Amino acid sequence: MTGPAILLLLAGLGAIAWVSARARAMRLADVARATGRRDAVHSLPGYHGWYVALWTLIPAAIFLAVWANVAPGLVTQQVLHDPAAQSLPADAFARSAILGEARAIAAGDQAAAFNPASNALVDPYSDAITKYGVIGAVLALILAFAGGAYAFTRIRADFRARTRVERLVMATLLVASLLAIVTTLGIVGSLLWESFRFFSMVSPIDFLFGLKWSPQSAAMGYGNDDAFGAVPLFWGTIFIGAIIAMIVAIPLGLMSAVYLTQYASPTVRKWMKPLLEVLAGVPTVVYGYFAALTIAPALRDLAVSIGIHSASSESALAAGLVMGVMIIPFVSSMADDSIAAVPQSMRDGSLAMGATTSETIRKVMIPAALPGVVGGVLLAVSRAIGETMIVVMAAGLAANLTLNPFASVTTVTTQIVQLLTGDQEFDSAKTLAAFALGLVLFIVTLLLNIVALRVVKKYREAYE
Amino acid sequence: MTEEQKLLSPADPKMTARDVKVFYGVKEAIKGVSIDVDMDNVTAFIGPSGCGKSTFLRTLNRMNDTVASARVEGTITLDGEDIYAPSMDVVQLRARVGMVFQKPNPFPKSIYENIAYGPRIHGLASAKADLDVIVEKSLRRAGLWDEVKDRLNDSGTALSGGQQQRLCIGRAIAVEPEVILMDEPCSALDPIATAKIEELIHELRGRYGIVIVTHNMQQAARVSQRTAFFHLGELVEYGVTSDIFTNPRQERTKDYITGRYG
Amino acid sequence: MAEHTIKAFDEEIDRLRGLIAEMGGRAEAAIENAMLALQRQDKVLAAQVVEGDKRIDAIEAEVEKLIIQVIALRAPMANDLRDVIAALKIVSVVERIGDYAKNIAKRVPMIAANTRTLEPISLLPSMGQVAGEMVHDALNAFAARDADLALAVVERDTVVDDFYNSVFRTLVTFMVENPKTISECAHLLFIAKNIERIGDHATNVAEMVYFAATGQTLPDRERGGSNAAMED
Ligand SMILES: Nc1ncnc2c1ncn2[C@@H]1O[C@H](COP(=O)(O)OP(=O)(O)OP(=O)(O)O)[C@@H](O)[C@H]1O
Ligand SMILES: [Mg+2]
Repeated sequence: MTGPAILLLLAGLGAIAWVSARARAMRLADVARATGRRDAVHSLPGYHGWYVALWTLIPAAIFLAVWANVAPGLVTQQVLHDPAAQSLPADAFARSAILGEARAIAAGDQAAAFNPASNALVDPYSDAITKYGVIGAVLALILAFAGGAYAFTRIRADFRARTRVERLVMATLLVASLLAIVTTLGIVGSLLWESFRFFSMVSPIDFLFGLKWSPQSAAMGYGNDDAFGAVPLFWGTIFIGAIIAMIVAIPLGLMSAVYLTQYASPTVRKWMKPLLEVLAGVPTVVYGYFAALTIAPALRDLAVSIGIHSASSESALAAGLVMGVMIIPFVSSMADDSIAAVPQSMRDGSLAMGATTSETIRKVMIPAALPGVVGGVLLAVSRAIGETMIVVMAAGLAANLTLNPFASVTTVTTQIVQLLTGDQEFDSAKTLAAFALGLVLFIVTLLLNIVALRVVKKYREAYE
Repeated sequence: MTEEQKLLSPADPKMTARDVKVFYGVKEAIKGVSIDVDMDNVTAFIGPSGCGKSTFLRTLNRMNDTVASARVEGTITLDGEDIYAPSMDVVQLRARVGMVFQKPNPFPKSIYENIAYGPRIHGLASAKADLDVIVEKSLRRAGLWDEVKDRLNDSGTALSGGQQQRLCIGRAIAVEPEVILMDEPCSALDPIATAKIEELIHELRGRYGIVIVTHNMQQAARVSQRTAFFHLGELVEYGVTSDIFTNPRQERTKDYITGRYG
Repeated sequence: MAEHTIKAFDEEIDRLRGLIAEMGGRAEAAIENAMLALQRQDKVLAAQVVEGDKRIDAIEAEVEKLIIQVIALRAPMANDLRDVIAALKIVSVVERIGDYAKNIAKRVPMIAANTRTLEPISLLPSMGQVAGEMVHDALNAFAARDADLALAVVERDTVVDDFYNSVFRTLVTFMVENPKTISECAHLLFIAKNIERIGDHATNVAEMVYFAATGQTLPDRERGGSNAAMED
């Protein structure tokens, strides 16, 4: 019996269970109503239906899931005990190749054998598969029946089917939400583990405070000392993401938010806001090549023309500017929200004192919205330092510790990409360094997010 | 001239409104209202929700300018000057005709800064010492000084609702307006805070022209000398407060104030 | 008139009106019965009138309580306020009217049996009837918020006053001629005075009704304007 058929059969059983349990519960309800004791019926018939249906389906389904994993082993066991298997080669590899082929033919995935030795095993295999398939199906059906019957006998007027079904629904929802958390925890766990391995090779002090970053030299066997000082990367990240990008994004974002909330007519706002948000929808890789191919050369030419001949074509400035532009809608929409959240009455209060619109904005609206704006900026920073594509394409790879915006710097994310692209052994310090960098990045953005959300939340509360 | 006429059309009105109409888009929210405001008497606006009290009040200091769809017809004068004339500076007008809102709306600044806000933007004080004087005087007039004099640097939003409202009145007073418009100033306050504000209105009367919108009949009866009853954008009845509340002339007024409305 | 949004307010006002109507009815009946008792020398009926006054006093107390409650809880305005204030004053006046009727009834036994010989007594029933009608009309006017009817009551006050003057003159003449009846005649004189006061009070009620209905006090009213109002 094939898998789909069993599933279909089970589904049918479940449906029957649902219908019959519901019918029975309805009869019980009728009886209870007839005797005038409506409180005697605890749950609606539908809940009884679901209760029995779930008892029919879930144990059988769990069994099938387990069986699907156990059965192949049992099948192989039986085949190995078959006389035809005595002629198999002793070499484990050849043996499993033959077995695999025989199994594929038996299951109908493969038409003919390459290795004639397999042919002999096809029949035993199909026998075994059929046998265990039937056993599994029978057991599953028995379980389904047993579960259904057990649940069915429990149907009584005062049986709390609703409570149980609701509990199961809740458990399902809980599992769904746990899944995301567990995944995150898994990621953090692996980050921690790999970083731990890295730090057993390189001292955390050297990593966090070292000024020289040259993992290639470590890979080439010059030793791990002095090669993994991440400060230049941290600096590059901050220089591009938190300084240059923010110098662009904060004023522009804030001003556009002020314009949109305070000055723009509804029509203008209706058009401008979505347009601005389109910026946020542009894939970062597009920004990346825009930065690398358009902005960076232009900046370099500019720098050279004003006499800075050392200007790199992969300058921090190019990456930072483009990243700043990318972040504008982010800052702007956060600032927009927080300015819009300042109660209209505050604005009216100021205007009614005879303040002009700009005085009102400068002295009342922005100070009132400040915590929200700060929160938004922090979120934007955390976004900027986690941003990868633009810096990979435009920022360069040289780990320079420099204040010169025309020089090339590199960032944490760029280096992670560098360290992990191509074929890598996963136990060298060079590869593991990526995890340590990832961990640092994770911690920093996490902290930024926590602080930002706190600030924003506190500010929201102040006006509620 | 009878007492009544003297009260309703004072010889030296601070503000006059003549046949004022307000439109929101095509909807006529105020349909030809004429009243006078003088310094010695308090005017109360009453009427069911949505009848246009706030709308009319806000035309008196052009706060309706902030509503894009609002359009005002008719004439409103302040000391004989048309406030909707192009030559009228709105900033100046609002400094002369202050406003207190329904919900206390102190700025999220210190108590001191809340009061100092207006004088600062209007350049009323050059030195810190002058400002200190203004702040104290305004808070005293608003009846709040004794309660806050030791914590002028605390946030204005940390005060109780009633204190916040008096702070807002103090803030309005600080720019030395000539008229103060109050839109349901006590609707969020408890009876004691309400009584304090009403007492304050009594004390401010004579120094400022005062117009107050209220849903509380007793309050209108207590604080005002003139009462205007609005209904569906019309000024149904405008009269001496004691008459309106004991012997209204219009059936609609009577039904409203005796609780037979709707 | 439209109903109040708060129905309980209407119920209280209705109850108030009901009580005042009952009180008025009782006061009216007391006047009528007192006059009847006087005419027929019916001491039993007279005693009933005296007894009945207790109920009038009780209603007054009840109405006062109710009005205090209405003012405290409903804060009546405009015509409601006037109605309530008028009602408060009316009940105390009607209570006085009841007292006068009681006073008349109390005098019945003292006039002894020989009514036949007291000729002037025949004047009193019609005087009492006019006063009773005034009370009746004043309270009807209150019930109907009828300012015109109230005015009519006020105007009728002079009729009672004229009656009183003529009864006064007649009694004095009679006393001079029949000095033996002086003590009975003195009682009759007091009764006449009581009826005259009832008329004045009915006028007061009517004035209050007029105020409640119109919001205006009556112009230059002649307060209890009898030339006989020399005493009390
Ligand atoms: N900004 C606006 N745009 C359009 N219509 C408005 C606007 N503001 C008020 N209105 C309308 O104008 C009418 C009068 O409103 P207004 O706020 O003046 O009423 P109000 O008498 O102050 O009521 P309330 O007692 O509830 O404060 C209402 O019908 C309202 O819907
Ligand atoms: Mg309003």
